[in-house]
Amino acid sequence: MPDPNTLSPMQITLSTTRDDHRIAWLTAAAVLIHLFESAIPTFLPGIKPGLANIVVITVLVMYGWRTAAWVSILRVLVGSLLLGTFLSPTFMMSLSGAVASVSMLWLASHLPGRGFSAVGYSLLAAMAHISGQFVCAYTLFIPHAGLWRLFPVLLSMAIVLGMINGIICLRLVNRLKATACKTS
Amino acid sequence: MTRADWIVIIIALACLPLVYVYNWRTQTQAIEATISGPDHYKRTIMLDHDQIIHVPGKLGDSVLEIRDGKIRFIKSPCTTKFCIHSGWLKYNGDVMACLPNGVYVQVSGGTRKYDAINF
Repeated sequence: MPDPNTLSPMQITLSTTRDDHRIAWLTAAAVLIHLFESAIPTFLPGIKPGLANIVVITVLVMYGWRTAAWVSILRVLVGSLLLGTFLSPTFMMSLSGAVASVSMLWLASHLPGRGFSAVGYSLLAAMAHISGQFVCAYTLFIPHAGLWRLFPVLLSMAIVLGMINGIICLRLVNRLKATACKTS
Repeated sequence: MTRADWIVIIIALACLPLVYVYNWRTQTQAIEATISGPDHYKRTIMLDHDQIIHVPGKLGDSVLEIRDGKIRFIKSPCTTKFCIHSGWLKYNGDVMACLPNGVYVQVSGGTRKYDAINF
């Protein structure tokens, strides 16, 4: 019989990169905002300020598209697990919006020249988000032409809120860059 | 803010009225009505010739009128008469119902689609 003291405890070590840690921290921030936002009642069903997307856009500007895509998709996944909506219609809507906006951001961030600032990214992402959600709602849940009558209203809200979020992002990025300069 | 930002903002605001016009344009005319009632009563009627239809409901007969490709409730045994107040149905996809009497009417443009979450 082997002596238990000679057996080394089984250890599983996952090697993580700096990038993984960064994604995890930023996702945690986005999830927190997501949870906070889900507690705010909205004056019109279907309209949400999308504050969690501020994190995504800021990450896009600071660290690039790959990190932003991770944060966006993980935020939806973890947020749904915590709210208990995983794989429910709410989750499908959330995911379709995130996938649409992340794809749009990929296109936008690969534009030649100076490209967009946070405001442009945020506006494009908001519009892609609502369009993706409508396509998902129409194909999966409500295949009725009447659904699209709601689209212009929600698109208008997306444009307004996307621009407001973009301005918040712009100020946030400026502050983050200023602190980064000071500390280094 | 860069020049690309302004271009996107201007395009978004310029296209918004077009989105309103495109999505809020007049709907297509319905060509048939599906009437359902209690005890699996279901009838599909073309809206092309005028007639009066009696539908047996939970409280009594609901009377529907078809005229000029439109359909409405004209008589109902219910107390609230919401069904009569819904007026004429003529656009594809419109629905009206008399809940107390269990009578539902949906008009469609020929191809039937679902109107709720389906599995």
